[in-house]
Amino acid sequence: MTPTADIPLKEPVISAAASDAEQLERARIDASTRVPVLMFYASAMVWLLIGTLLAGFVSFKLHSPDWFSDVSFLTWGRLRPVHMNVMVYGWASMAAMGTAIWLMARLCRTTLRHPLLIVAGIWFWNIGVLIGVIGILMGYSTGYDWLEFPPYAAVVLFVAYALIMSWAVLMFRFRRGDQIYITQWYLLGAFLWFPWLYAAAQAMLFVVPVQGVMQAAVGWWYANNLLFLWLGAIALGTAYYMIPKVIGRPVYSYHLATIGFWTYALFSSWTGMQRLVDGPFPAWMITASIAATILTIIPVATVGLNHHMTMQGYFPVMRYSPTLRFTVFGAMSYTVFSIIGILISLRSTARYLHFTEASIAYSHLGLYAFFTMVMFGSMYYIVPRLVGREWRYATLIKLHFWASAYGVGLMSLMLLVGGFAQGATQNDPSMSFIQSVASALPYLRGRTVAALLLTISHFIFAFHFGLMLFGLGRTSTVPTFLNPVEAEGSEAHS
Amino acid sequence: MKGLVPLFLGVFGTFAFSWVGLTVIPNLQIGALNPQMDEEGTDIYPAPKSGMADRGRRIYAANGCIYCHSQQIRPGYAYADVDRVRDAGPSPRPKWAERRSAPRDYIFDRPVVLGQERMGPDLADIGKAGPTEEEKPAAAPAANAPANSPATAQSPPANAGSGKPAAGGSPPAPATSAAAPAQSAAANPSPAPSASPSPNGVPPAYSAAWHHRHLYSPRSMSLDSVDSTMPAYKFLYEKHQINGERSADALELSGRDAPPPGWEIVPTYDASCLVAYLMSLDQSHPLKEVKTAEGAAPPAASPPAQPAGSPAPAPSKK
Repeated sequence: MTPTADIPLKEPVISAAASDAEQLERARIDASTRVPVLMFYASAMVWLLIGTLLAGFVSFKLHSPDWFSDVSFLTWGRLRPVHMNVMVYGWASMAAMGTAIWLMARLCRTTLRHPLLIVAGIWFWNIGVLIGVIGILMGYSTGYDWLEFPPYAAVVLFVAYALIMSWAVLMFRFRRGDQIYITQWYLLGAFLWFPWLYAAAQAMLFVVPVQGVMQAAVGWWYANNLLFLWLGAIALGTAYYMIPKVIGRPVYSYHLATIGFWTYALFSSWTGMQRLVDGPFPAWMITASIAATILTIIPVATVGLNHHMTMQGYFPVMRYSPTLRFTVFGAMSYTVFSIIGILISLRSTARYLHFTEASIAYSHLGLYAFFTMVMFGSMYYIVPRLVGREWRYATLIKLHFWASAYGVGLMSLMLLVGGFAQGATQNDPSMSFIQSVASALPYLRGRTVAALLLTISHFIFAFHFGLMLFGLGRTSTVPTFLNPVEAEGSEAHS
Repeated sequence: MKGLVPLFLGVFGTFAFSWVGLTVIPNLQIGALNPQMDEEGTDIYPAPKSGMADRGRRIYAANGCIYCHSQQIRPGYAYADVDRVRDAGPSPRPKWAERRSAPRDYIFDRPVVLGQERMGPDLADIGKAGPTEEEKPAAAPAANAPANSPATAQSPPANAGSGKPAAGGSPPAPATSAAAPAQSAAANPSPAPSASPSPNGVPPAYSAAWHHRHLYSPRSMSLDSVDSTMPAYKFLYEKHQINGERSADALELSGRDAPPPGWEIVPTYDASCLVAYLMSLDQSHPLKEVKTAEGAAPPAASPPAQPAGSPAPAPSKK
């Protein structure tokens, strides 16, 4: 595992002494995003910790239902949507917006204008999530998956989003250079898709409600698109930036990237109905979504191939760079996530996996193994550039990575295998229903262990992030490497 | 890629394609369905739910029942949904459903709670699984009166608390209550089962009283060796001191769940609504667009209002 001499461990270092004009410009751009991006990250971290504690609680209550069940706002059926929404709107969306704004400023090579309006937007967003959470806990959940927040919370979120993203999109007006990088395609797409998505879902469910089962169709159309076109798009864009940046090598193929982006936009936006396989809908809707899910193999293959070819020969860098390690893990999980998505939507496998814990595994593979790991990677890259300090402890980063990786791996495995056991029993009418629950229970206990691992990982990260935030990071011009760089490596970045 | 315009148009176009394809066009196809009726304009299905049942659906959604209970029956060719029988109930146990669900079954539902997971059984037809309400007050006490004594003999300490109020309240109960809840039979828990616990103290399966007890204490009525994993919804119930006569809708509880003597557990309005909602869930009415598994299945053909044959086996067994 000795790195070859040509591995560029030199990450772009910002220092006032740097004479390079480009570096100075970067420092200026970073400085303009400093307050809003750090606020995004800090809010996201708080929501992440809340959501993690809730996750453990929810996971534990699922197999031990009598735990705190006599209090209305601690009942499982209210805590589960709170966990879900805190993670999606509190953690994921805020981390995504933070990273996206920073990337946008960097790639448009322009300073972020009106950061205070964005800060106001962040406050509104936090308030919106808080209102929504309280609403669910009080018993005002709407009952639509991923959209449980009462509509009045959605209004607040919408105002917040307008405040935040109009400035991010406007950065395009001030961009320099006419090449639009791959990351920017994904980010611009996400910025425009989200408000449309959210407005369309809110309008069709609450303002002018559609009839009967169409509500479920709109709900899952929204949920899958939120996962793919909002969070997923930002994560893919981030990976397209971080991987070439850290290893200091251009993306392997722009053509592949183009194919990957457009097929991603086209196919993943049609996958919503795979959550309702053989439900009470016209068969063509579900078949169209299953077909679209199968076709997502095209963006998966092109994006995966592109990242792989970019990384070719540079995989040993993962030994040192935290950013790269998290990002590559996330990018690889994108492939796994998509393949599992195809598996759970095919009619032949849906027999065993539909209506089981496997769908929870699918959501977690997308939201955690893919999206969240990429976000962690980007935070390891961006935060030092905003606070002017390097991460303090390489050990904590390693612990964070392994606890997260093993945690989400164990969770997915437990839920998939448990889901299969559960589904096989469910589809055998000679077994009583409760036996299908019983067959999943050991796996659900295993999932609680995984939740524990993830809790440890997140608290470690939050602690480390807190140190950075309070200026307790290392003062150094050399980024924190996960492992000491041997002689050859250190020459490269000297 | 150069230029914002093609990028913007592409972003806009792909998403518009999915929005139109998955929401707008289906909405034209199934977004304005009418109830089905026969030539005379009678026998209308589905019908909007009563006020209480409608409110019950909100309680159902707000407390997350949807995360474990689906309300959709998949077609029989690939799935066991229509072959499956419920875990409780007199034998032959009630089936999950007679036919697959169709869009028309849900036209009055808002929010629609199709569900996505089954940690608990499907509830699309749960109202159909219960004993018929009209028959219950008269039939149950008669059938179960002798069964009462073995139960008390078998476990005297456990029944000491709950048996006492029941013994005091039970003789007049059938007479007074048979008239009182008649107008809202589906909405209110029928008092009859509470006055006449079956041998193990459990009301007839899937009756309103059964649902109340199941919501209050799911694990007190586990059937197999495996315990139910449903959380208890005790916060939907209130503990009252008994003033004079015991409330008609008080829960019949035994063992650890039983309130202290002189106290009773009664459903809140929310709990009554939730149970009214559960009792109203019934997709057994045939739909023209859905073929039942074996042609026109006889049990499905009987409209829910006047089931001639179904009540007979229910009281005789339990």
